[in-house]
Amino acid sequence: MSANPQFPGFLRTSIGRKWVVAVSGLFLIGFVIIHMAGNLQMFAATPDVINRYAYFLKTNPLMLWGFRLALLTAVAAHIWAALSLARENRAAKPVNYAVAGRKSRLHVTLASVTMVISGTVILGFVIFHLLHFTAQVVDRSYQEMETVLDGKAVHDVHRMVVAGFSKPLISAFYILAMGLLFFHLRHGAASVFQTIGIRDRTLSRVIESGSWALAAILFLGFSSIPVAVLLGVWKL
Amino acid sequence: MKLHLKIWRQPGKDHPGKLEMYDLDGLNPDMSFLEMMDVLNDRLTREGKEPVAFEHDCREGICGSCAMAINGEPHGPNDGATTCQVYLRSFKDGETLTVEPWRARAFPVLKDLVTDRSAFDRIMQAGGFISVNTGQAPDANAMPIGKETAEQAFDAAHCIGCGACVAACRNGSAMLFVAAKVSHLGLLPQGQPERKQRVRRMVEAMDAAGFGNCSNQYACEAVCPKEISADLIARMNRDYALSLVPKL
Repeated sequence: MSANPQFPGFLRTSIGRKWVVAVSGLFLIGFVIIHMAGNLQMFAATPDVINRYAYFLKTNPLMLWGFRLALLTAVAAHIWAALSLARENRAAKPVNYAVAGRKSRLHVTLASVTMVISGTVILGFVIFHLLHFTAQVVDRSYQEMETVLDGKAVHDVHRMVVAGFSKPLISAFYILAMGLLFFHLRHGAASVFQTIGIRDRTLSRVIESGSWALAAILFLGFSSIPVAVLLGVWKL
Repeated sequence: MKLHLKIWRQPGKDHPGKLEMYDLDGLNPDMSFLEMMDVLNDRLTREGKEPVAFEHDCREGICGSCAMAINGEPHGPNDGATTCQVYLRSFKDGETLTVEPWRARAFPVLKDLVTDRSAFDRIMQAGGFISVNTGQAPDANAMPIGKETAEQAFDAAHCIGCGACVAACRNGSAMLFVAAKVSHLGLLPQGQPERKQRVRRMVEAMDAAGFGNCSNQYACEAVCPKEISADLIARMNRDYALSLVPKL
């Protein structure tokens, strides 16, 4: 890249930063899809399935931390680029019309104008979620939950999740955050394609409905677990 | 017919402005919106008052001068039409219309409804051209161009640079305008030699002028009097990224 004198300037331009938001967003979408697929192992016939998966992740620290580092970089880049663009956008429109036009708002969805708000709440949620289930400091008793898997004592993730979601307020917060993720991705996933230049008249319909469907599947997939716990599918 | 007009009056660039009320009666529904403005200005002049400053030139929808927002809508309520192509029959008798200048930091108000749109000229000067030696016009069809490509380039070339896209955008972004100009030349063989530097320079000039950034809400496309598609913004985003890839 250093061979290209244009490259550093790229990050200062409008389109350059839009690419940063899109590419980091695409990576994060990929992550949430994998995360959801991992979570859905809760519904497997035995708790061993998700416990084995968690054990596999924990015992491959190079892969785990490499992925965590990539995620952290993507999150930081996503927030930095999006906020710097949003700041400029506010400055570029200092005065609004006395009367709001109808045509100008035709395609402006609630989701698209609340990206910073939904993004901020999701960030807050992610921090709580990490303290809750990853660092396990919200309720330290999770650290002691163990089960026996193939003759070894391993962390009982299944039990921790059931215990975590048995508190209705925490479950409600998780479901609310997933609702906001649905909103964020409804606009965000479709926008990725526009920003990286894959969109035309015929594709746009597929992109719009595909993004909506993806956002909805993620919402339902993630929310199904706290809902199942609250409905008493698993007993502690 | 009768109309109540609330028009933005601002004596100069750094002066505060406000909406002022004017009542017009006896209007012909087949008058164009600009003819109605002429009627109003004629009356104001006869009353010894300052007429409303507004831009207009061709009055047939191809020059892009008649920039004004009617009820918050750049170029008014009609689809694919400039203000000069809006007729009073599009409104209800006795309706109140709010008329304002384009609102965007990059288009400062000079007087009343007139804004300074020279930022667009600076973007064009940065790369909205092809460099050719002057001389005789080349023979028509000497350079074969596929029908599909010619149509696409022509669709982009329809842009009249009126600035409605910026005016409608909640971010005051000029990306539809720049995308139209980048694509119209970038699609044709004559535009290839400067294709990479064109998109880079035009994007840099756009950023320097203080326009906002596209957040993919496509208000620009909805109000564009030439119905330029926001798909061209996707094309520009792609072209811009490709322009940074080093030549192997």
